[in-house]
Amino acid sequence: MSAPARTRFRLPSLEDALRGAAIVIVSAIIFFPVYWMIVSSIRPSAESLSFPPPLWPGSIDVQSYFQLFVEKPIARWLLLSTLVASLTVIGTLILVIPAAYALSRLYWPGRSAFGLLLLFTQMMPAAVVVAPILALYRGLGWTDNLWALALLHTAFVVPLCAWVLKASFDAVPKEIVEAALIDGCDRWKVLWLVVLPLTRPGLVAVSVIAFFASWNEYLFASTLITKNDLYTASLGLATLMTQLDTPLFVLMAAGVTFSILPVFFYMAIQRHLLRGLTAGAVKG
Amino acid sequence: MAMASALTQTTDRASRPKRARRSGVVGSRAFPYLLIMPMLALEGALVIYPIVRGALFSLDTPAGLGLDNYRYMLADPDFWRMIQHTLVFTLSVVVAILAIGLSLALLMNWSFRGRGVVRSLLTVPWAIPEVPVAITFVLMLDPSFGVFNAFLRLVPGVTENPQWLLDPVLAMLVVVGATVWKGFPFYSLVLLSALQSVPDELYEAAKIDRAGRFAQFRYITLPGIRPTLALLAVLAFIYSTQQFTLIWLITGGGPVDATTTLAPAIYMQAFRFYNFSYAGAIAVVGFGISAIATLCFVLLQRRMETPE
Repeated sequence: MSAPARTRFRLPSLEDALRGAAIVIVSAIIFFPVYWMIVSSIRPSAESLSFPPPLWPGSIDVQSYFQLFVEKPIARWLLLSTLVASLTVIGTLILVIPAAYALSRLYWPGRSAFGLLLLFTQMMPAAVVVAPILALYRGLGWTDNLWALALLHTAFVVPLCAWVLKASFDAVPKEIVEAALIDGCDRWKVLWLVVLPLTRPGLVAVSVIAFFASWNEYLFASTLITKNDLYTASLGLATLMTQLDTPLFVLMAAGVTFSILPVFFYMAIQRHLLRGLTAGAVKG
Repeated sequence: MAMASALTQTTDRASRPKRARRSGVVGSRAFPYLLIMPMLALEGALVIYPIVRGALFSLDTPAGLGLDNYRYMLADPDFWRMIQHTLVFTLSVVVAILAIGLSLALLMNWSFRGRGVVRSLLTVPWAIPEVPVAITFVLMLDPSFGVFNAFLRLVPGVTENPQWLLDPVLAMLVVVGATVWKGFPFYSLVLLSALQSVPDELYEAAKIDRAGRFAQFRYITLPGIRPTLALLAVLAFIYSTQQFTLIWLITGGGPVDATTTLAPAIYMQAFRFYNFSYAGAIAVVGFGISAIATLCFVLLQRRMETPE
């Protein structure tokens, strides 16, 4: 990635000042809903329920978070979400490493067709298959089963992950692989000992994508999980939203709690994520 | 997240000439197929098979196998209204997300202190899960205490809080807004790296030729990022047809059916009216739309790979 402007040297001008101001204003507008979510979770509900609601919190009160963890089963929801998401990551890595390797490093008849199939499954809206999947899962006795939910999440995230990982396999220099082959490594050793260690950022990106695709998912979870004690966080949160007896600041605190993890991870690996997601389409 | 699909090649020209040598070194012809088998099996069982089964549902009518569901669908004014809502929603999301994404990318394509911080902040809406996004929008739009009303009241002449979710036009605006807000960072960041890959020399040359700002944008920037824009347009289209959670949790498809697009429509038929076979027929339409979009994506990608 080259940043042409970065290398050029220039004095701050009126234009730069205007641009800076525009960036600040636009960022503020964009960020406002996030700010509002946080503010509404740390001030007394009465303040949020007045009109017009004050833009700055009059008093700060983090009691909502205590109330959330004491009165609502959020800890349990988060734990189950973590479980399902972790299973999804494991399943995704098992399936995607060999497939991405085959897509990136081997030439075989049918590879384009496989690529097309992946793209096609990746573009399919979940709503198109949700009813038949419910029928299938009922037939198998897989409803209200978090393992089966994780398997479904895996099926819907692997196509994207295969592309992301293929892009990082593509970036491993051919010479290294060839040298290893000449040195007598077999195919598996090349993959495990040579290619994988060189693509750690790609593997991290794939894990994060899979984890949060599952963590955030609502449609499948809401149709396949009916028992309250198996609720994942997205389901629990949606239930809190429709239960009118949840105090507003507790609801907002739940929203913030649920968002912290994905926001943290996306920010941390944003560059890798983007490089993986855009490989091939953006030259440079 | 599935919207953020990989902008990657389906074919890899670079490795094709290696065929002869590779098969000599790597050996066994079955090896690649072994590698993809587990993934293929899962996709077959949990994506392809349900699509086929859904299509079979749609043929299942009280009078035996037949096209009655489709006949009913094509004659159903609700179906055509749903298509209309889907078009309005999808086109609005695509146009808004690309316009906002590009404007932001242009604004950011410049070195300034704190650029990394702004980039990270921009990622936040993308990272927040849909359920909390829906909760926040519902709170901000509440007719009695929503903060959006407070902002709107600043406009001269506005003396009442609009009923955001009870007015068909406003409700559509709201779901489009929430979808765009959640999705735009991806488009913005991708366009930013596309902008940065436009060769600097072109701008230098343009300056020597005394080309103006607008001319530079029109004749250098735009052609440089056009392929990326086209691919992103297809991705935004797919992203918006996939959107279910935000619409469902913010408006429930309402008021009446004003924000019922394809995904909520299928869901309603299946789980509100328990009409799996009619839901199957609508799902086949959704399948067709997304298959066409996928083909467009592949064609655009091919064109991008071949140098002009």
